[in-house]
Amino acid sequence: MNATRYLIIGGGIAGTTAAETLREIDPDSSICIVSDEPYRLYSRIMLSKPNFFLKKIPFDTIWLKTKEWYESKKIELLDGKNAVKLDSANKIIELNDGNKINYEKLLLAIGGCARPWNVAGNEKQGIFYLRTLNDAKAIISAVKKTKRAVSIGGGFISFEMCEMLRLAGIDVTLVLRESYYWEPLLDKMSGEIIESALQKGGVSIIKNTEASEIVGNESVTGMHLKNGEDISCEMIIAGIGVMCPFEWIRAGGVEVGRGIIANEYLETNVPDIWTAGDSAEFNDLILNEKVQLGNWINAQMQGRTAAFNMAGKHQPFKLVSFYTTQGFGITIAFVGDVRPLPDRIIIARGTPESGSYGRILISKDEIVGATLINRTGELAPITKLIERDVKITGHESELADSQFDLKKLIVL
Amino acid sequence: MKIKKIVVASNLCIGAASCVVTAGSVFELDSENKAVIKFKDTKNSGPAEREQLEDAGITDDTLLLAAQSCPTKAIFLYDEEGKQVYP
Repeated sequence: MNATRYLIIGGGIAGTTAAETLREIDPDSSICIVSDEPYRLYSRIMLSKPNFFLKKIPFDTIWLKTKEWYESKKIELLDGKNAVKLDSANKIIELNDGNKINYEKLLLAIGGCARPWNVAGNEKQGIFYLRTLNDAKAIISAVKKTKRAVSIGGGFISFEMCEMLRLAGIDVTLVLRESYYWEPLLDKMSGEIIESALQKGGVSIIKNTEASEIVGNESVTGMHLKNGEDISCEMIIAGIGVMCPFEWIRAGGVEVGRGIIANEYLETNVPDIWTAGDSAEFNDLILNEKVQLGNWINAQMQGRTAAFNMAGKHQPFKLVSFYTTQGFGITIAFVGDVRPLPDRIIIARGTPESGSYGRILISKDEIVGATLINRTGELAPITKLIERDVKITGHESELADSQFDLKKLIVL
Repeated sequence: MKIKKIVVASNLCIGAASCVVTAGSVFELDSENKAVIKFKDTKNSGPAEREQLEDAGITDDTLLLAAQSCPTKAIFLYDEEGKQVYP
């Protein structure tokens, strides 16, 4: 049996950042990463970017680490291997090739998987998900022979895929189960700005329905919708969310909810096991509740914090994270916690007619999040206002004034 | 290492804003969702000499962390001899 001091399951940005940070702190101990993908670290965030798909930037920009980097840092990368069993009592991870690895400290940075689409005919060729580099390669190759495509679901990935497909000259239909884009996370006005941009860009949108069956012989030729409509297409991209296969982790005694449950130090309930990145359902000190996030900067900074704590420090994780995208002539940014929970007060900034529209979400007299369309410049001041727990009583009218400079509310 | 000069390659920037999270006193996003450097008197993609920064006291470690956090490696750092130190 192999043995390592630090074992990291997951070779994405959380796991690799953890390995890099551990090496900075601890120059000599053994570090091993197990990755289920047959690749070194790449930029997952690039996978949905039209410029990458359409090769406007070279394919090789996707690689964030060289092979030599792993060697020079003495980080062992076992790629193309799955962890299948956790024996936390004896501190052993078993891989799908039968090998066993004994660890002293374990990090579970296993990320998420694309949620499988449960629809009749889902075995046909021409249905794509986007999560891994292999998924992206399959889409890049399919795009070249596609004339008509359907994108399923509203969200960042779907928005970016619609733009990529349109730029590739493909007819695109977007099918939404909801009554507007990104319901219920966004309000109707924000959703309509996005829909209007999509439609101006040539995307047909069908709302309030979903596929009842995918038709075609071996390959997709179209789909039936529950509202009775039929769409012809050769390609379907299903962006219907992420789920994590946690059974083997649960079986090893680690507490699992939507994600792997952790405290603010990213420690799980089992000694010497931490989690980081998309798979972590952690205690967020800013919101004082358990949250699970799926974004790049969260994964990266959690990898760093988990590494500090694995190396014996005691550092809580605290970050206001966000995600931004641009396409069809608009920019969309989400900051902090954008869930419109019942206790949230929401203040609007700007109007859809003016082309820029933001919503600031408030809980218990403090800003907890914001959604910004064409107001990306406000991302930095809003992040600061969230971080510093600025009380907003008395400032409501300023928050609602789209011309008001939010920086003025930051108390230094 | 002493970081002397910073440049953002706007053609590579996708507005992921990880630099804004790690070094918000130096980087922000402009109206086109591209990262810009905050000078004492202006904002653009650089090149920026360290003493021209609004936050001239920023540490090398923070600048390096910001550059390393970029998912498209769009932030370039140079030392006092003009040698590229990252990426």
